[in-house]
Amino acid sequence: MNDWTLTILTFLPLVGVVTILLLKPFGGESDTKIKGIAVGTAVVTFLFSLFVLAQYNPAMAGLQMQHKGDWIPGIGVSYYLGIDGLSILMILLTTFIAMLGIASSWSAITTQVRNYYIFMLLLEVGMLGVFLAQDLFLFYVFWEVTLVPMYFLIGIWGGKERVYAALKFFLYTMAGSLLMLLAILYMGITNGTFSVPELIANRALFAGAQNWLFLGFAVAFAIKVPVFPFHSWLPDAHTQAPTAGSIILAGVLLKMGTYGFMRFNLPLFPEASVYYAPFIAVLAIIGIIYGAIVAYAQHDAKKLVAYSSISHLGFVMLGIFSLNEIGLQGAIIQGVNHGLSTGALFFAVGFLYDQRHTRELDDYGGVWKAVPLFSALTLIVTLSSMGLPGLNGFVGEFSILLGSMGTEALSPSWIYTAFAVTGVILAATYLLKFYQAIFMGPLEKEENKSLREMNGGELAIMLSFLLFIVWIGIAPAGYFGLTQATVADLANTLSEIVNNTAPVLMQ
Amino acid sequence: MVVTVEWYVLLGAVLFTIGALGVLLRRNAIVIFMSVELMLNAVNLVFVAFAYHLGDINGQVLVFFVMTVSAAEVAVGLAIIVAIFQSKKSIDISELNTLKG
Amino acid sequence: MNTFALAPLLLILPFLGMLFNLFAGTRLVRQDAQTGERWSGWTASILVIINFVITVTLMSSLAANDYHAIIVPLWDWFAFIGEFHIPWAMQIDTLSVTMLGVVTGVGALIHIYAIGYMHGDEGFARFFAYLNLFIFFMIILVTGNNYLMLFVGWEGVGLCSFLLIGFWHDRKDGVGLANSRAARKAFIANRVGDAAMILAMIMTFWTFGTLEFQPVFDSAVEMFTSSQAVPLFGVSFELGVVLSTITVLFLIGATGKSAQIPLYIWLPDAMAGPTPVSALIHAATMVTSGIYLIVRSNVLFEIVRKSEYLLFGVISTNDLVALIGASTALWAGLIAFTQWDVKKVLAYSTVSQLGFMIAAVGMGAYVAGLFHLITHAIFKALLFMGSGSIIHGMEHGHHHYVDHHRGHNGHGEGHGHHDGHDDFDPQDMRTMGGLRHKMPWTFWTYIIGTLALAGIFPFAGFWSKDEILAHASWNLTALPDQWIYPVVYALLTLAAFCTAFYMGRQIKMVFFGEPRSDVVAYVPESDWKMVMPLVILAVGATLGGLINLPHFTEASYKASKDSYGESNIYLAMEKAVEHSIESFHLTETGVVSMPYTPTWVQMTVAVVSTILALIALLLAVFVVYRTKPEQATDPDPLQVSPLIKYPWAFFATLPLDTLLVKGFVEKLFNPFSDWIAMRVDWDFWHDFVHNNVIRDTFNTVADFLANILDPKGVDGVVTGLGKVTMRLSGLLGLVQSGNVGNYALGVFLGLVVLVTYVVALGWMQ
Repeated sequence: MNDWTLTILTFLPLVGVVTILLLKPFGGESDTKIKGIAVGTAVVTFLFSLFVLAQYNPAMAGLQMQHKGDWIPGIGVSYYLGIDGLSILMILLTTFIAMLGIASSWSAITTQVRNYYIFMLLLEVGMLGVFLAQDLFLFYVFWEVTLVPMYFLIGIWGGKERVYAALKFFLYTMAGSLLMLLAILYMGITNGTFSVPELIANRALFAGAQNWLFLGFAVAFAIKVPVFPFHSWLPDAHTQAPTAGSIILAGVLLKMGTYGFMRFNLPLFPEASVYYAPFIAVLAIIGIIYGAIVAYAQHDAKKLVAYSSISHLGFVMLGIFSLNEIGLQGAIIQGVNHGLSTGALFFAVGFLYDQRHTRELDDYGGVWKAVPLFSALTLIVTLSSMGLPGLNGFVGEFSILLGSMGTEALSPSWIYTAFAVTGVILAATYLLKFYQAIFMGPLEKEENKSLREMNGGELAIMLSFLLFIVWIGIAPAGYFGLTQATVADLANTLSEIVNNTAPVLMQ
Repeated sequence: MVVTVEWYVLLGAVLFTIGALGVLLRRNAIVIFMSVELMLNAVNLVFVAFAYHLGDINGQVLVFFVMTVSAAEVAVGLAIIVAIFQSKKSIDISELNTLKG
Repeated sequence: MNTFALAPLLLILPFLGMLFNLFAGTRLVRQDAQTGERWSGWTASILVIINFVITVTLMSSLAANDYHAIIVPLWDWFAFIGEFHIPWAMQIDTLSVTMLGVVTGVGALIHIYAIGYMHGDEGFARFFAYLNLFIFFMIILVTGNNYLMLFVGWEGVGLCSFLLIGFWHDRKDGVGLANSRAARKAFIANRVGDAAMILAMIMTFWTFGTLEFQPVFDSAVEMFTSSQAVPLFGVSFELGVVLSTITVLFLIGATGKSAQIPLYIWLPDAMAGPTPVSALIHAATMVTSGIYLIVRSNVLFEIVRKSEYLLFGVISTNDLVALIGASTALWAGLIAFTQWDVKKVLAYSTVSQLGFMIAAVGMGAYVAGLFHLITHAIFKALLFMGSGSIIHGMEHGHHHYVDHHRGHNGHGEGHGHHDGHDDFDPQDMRTMGGLRHKMPWTFWTYIIGTLALAGIFPFAGFWSKDEILAHASWNLTALPDQWIYPVVYALLTLAAFCTAFYMGRQIKMVFFGEPRSDVVAYVPESDWKMVMPLVILAVGATLGGLINLPHFTEASYKASKDSYGESNIYLAMEKAVEHSIESFHLTETGVVSMPYTPTWVQMTVAVVSTILALIALLLAVFVVYRTKPEQATDPDPLQVSPLIKYPWAFFATLPLDTLLVKGFVEKLFNPFSDWIAMRVDWDFWHDFVHNNVIRDTFNTVADFLANILDPKGVDGVVTGLGKVTMRLSGLLGLVQSGNVGNYALGVFLGLVVLVTYVVALGWMQ
């Protein structure tokens, strides 16, 4: 019995695309109408994802609301959507961030309005598909689908060096995903199916090749995350992308990488995951420290936030490769947290950029005086990104650090934790630098004195971010509850393997 | 003297050879055409002979196909020849080399 | 009556106060400063006063409940994540209520004081919003029933400290930038400690499976008594080893928040904040959270002491705590000699006094440490507010002076407030002198505060400082094999001497002698909202010793012990707090052996320290600073005296500050991060590797390939292919004669070949 809910969810944004395209033939195309339809579609999609949440059964570990149909039966490719604990928060994050991203473009985008919103909605389809596809081939298609709109979003509506950044983004991610494609084809053709649950059930068949297959997937995902040293496309893409592009890039697209690790690498190649865990954890920790130090030295606000992403996602990667429940739970929630707080930071920077057309920290200073409400809200966002307890960032970071010390996959784990925890100190250094350079100090520059306070729409967007920043901060139990069943299941599988393979240390 | 299948095959071979030589050596398109018919019917003869010899109906069925196809061929082919003659005033194939590459 | 249900109000009220001030207060103040300030300031203050009342009722409810701890659960925080389960819950016991008393009591007075102090500041409502937020986080810190909630408060007060130090971040001429830099320094120094706290909590969780205080302590005791090994990181450790690590990490956390060596460097800079902030956060409450943490974790510290594990085989955690505390006490006391800024002297004094407390809890004198925490909160808040009153007076005096001056010279271009373009520093003690006539209330309360801080009988500081010294001296003889007690005793006695001396120097320079600037003549006394809290605190600083008055003779103590339970005035605090300090109970049952604190006056110690303090005070006031400095530009007498000149100069450079900030941060970390970011990441990785190595290599290879096929470039590939095709087709075209005969021949030849092949195939088989 097929459940069409997820199919409807995935392709709901297409309705908006079609409507926008139909405007012209039916005479009444105007920018306002296009924006209205796009925002409306995004809101409806978000509401529909809440409906999915209502249908979702958190106690169930396996896939739910499955929709399975033949696509290319000859080689075992199927159209297969499903949702479980790994996907549910990502779906909500996607529809939420896409909604805010689209809404935040209202006044920022003035050229080629129609194409912009069509690309935005197509991007949302691709992202939802990535998080719902349970067939490797289908997943790959959605994975590549997200590239194209993002390429155009950066390349057309970006900053000065947009073409360079867009091309770099495209080639970099494309190159990585080709290796993944090879791995996918190998598995699909040798097993006659691309369905992930079936492959997991039959993983003994390709267990011999799993170290290579793991790497094929890992490179694609590591570039997307990005894991150090594959990060050099990120500062370009982030600085050149339009604000909404940055919000979505940081909020959702990077999570596709971490999600991929959890969805494919861990369950399909558990032995390889255990084998590679220390290497990836080391890269993650280098990312945490390196990203933070580099962020600290930036003079460009957007670049600073971009590098902070590398540091934050280092935490997520460390959580994933702790390979235990606490670490994985922390990684999922930290993915959401990063989406919210970095998304909000990009929104804040975009708000200033739209008025001042500069991203240099030195061009600001004393902005608090001019726009107190905006500054106060941005302060909360900054603190959330810094991991102040009581806000969301801390919940994720602490869980990850806790998980990383409790794991037997990394040995001795305390060294990993001890290094990772320096990220907490460094986060304070660069974020305070960011905040103080822009908002604090005397208000002396004339251009900054004329900054305007947020309008109703911008305030609503900021408050939406803050709602979840605070909510996850003080009551994350509800969020953990959504993902726990699936994650515990996965963690059990992994811990058996860890216990079988990890050498028993003697004192 | 019993007329065995070998005789029919031999006759077919002779007729086929005559036809083939006609196709290769003659220049008149009509004659070439007739030679082709001769080759086809030589093959038909062999088909019928083997069909009879082996007691298999398939050979005779195939003969009907060949006859149908050759009838169609004659219809189309003659039409072409007539058309060529009308434009070139000749059906000598040594003069008809417009398809030369 | 059971009032525990009121506990959540402790959190709700200040939070509401913050919201009120943030949204309504700012608007009200903008509309009408007079009524707006009244609403904003008094709302914030009254909420804290209500909190104080609630605290008092909680105290009496606890007494009625035989001092048993009560947990008030709020809601789940961490759940559904493995075995990690942390609630939001408040633990009301005598320890937390004692801390609450300090926070809300001193807090309320400082709120009222701030109404006067902040009058006329454009950020008036914002200031009170921060103060309320601070109270909110501080209450979370002291009432949380688990380490993680403690940590929420811990970082939350750090945030408020950041906001309040940087409160005047928008001042011009570099002042604002300096303020915000000080705020950042405070936050980051604290973060270093916080990182250690995080590690400590993580290790605690993996050792005991929870972070809630009581379960952690219970299972620690159980594991210790059954000599259970702790499996951690796939290895099994002795409990003593694990707890030593955890407690050292707690210590690092405490050095950050409670400003100890090596992380104290932020506290003096934190004086950039408005003075009520210095009094509330950087003297009375927030900086004592490190002491609270250690007292709260007394069970863990005592198990470490009992397990006799030495860190790196050198020193036990407890001794390290005591040593750091005592060294900080002396070190900061010495730096205080070199300061000119009236608040900086008090700041280093705070660092020094916090050192006393840390040393006390390191030696196992938890009650004494807590006692000193309370009395210090009272008299140091008094001193800070007194200094605030002085600064306020000097600022007003300066304004009047400038107005007056301008008026006389006929410059007339500006009335009212000067815009800060001259370099008059209202906090510099060298420009003061003779203020006692101008500010009598401030003067007398300040004197009381000074006497209390210097530890002169019978002011509050005497009792609490004496209890710490008595503890050290008692164990010096009781535990002769422990080297730490004589060392700490010596360091603390010296520090106490320094305390009295620099305070003598300060009151002499501020209040006595001849005025050293014209401003002094115009200094007014502060208004009643500022004086009233000073008077109340002065009473506290005088009588504060009563809350934990020791017996005067051993006989009196023995007699009282025999009739235990009979209520008398002695040791009131200890009797209450010992219910929350489990080590007392565990020492009785022999699980741990907490060093004994004598609870009657140790006459020798008391006499020695009082005489030293008196000598130091008199030496400072009547000898060293008797007539000096005469002019504001004169050097300090210590600065020129031959013997003390060099040490003075050394401490004047703020050695640790210089090392960490100028040395580590500015010389190492900043250039390093620049190098990593600009050279390694951008120039090398981003540009060189991607542009030169990857892109250029690709281009070169592509060019090369194209040139092989056709020298004209990439197009050559296409045209080259075309040419080859053309030539081939020319050849093949010859076959295409157009002659039907030839074609037919081809067909036949093909047939022959085919037939031959088939026949040959058959033949071969």
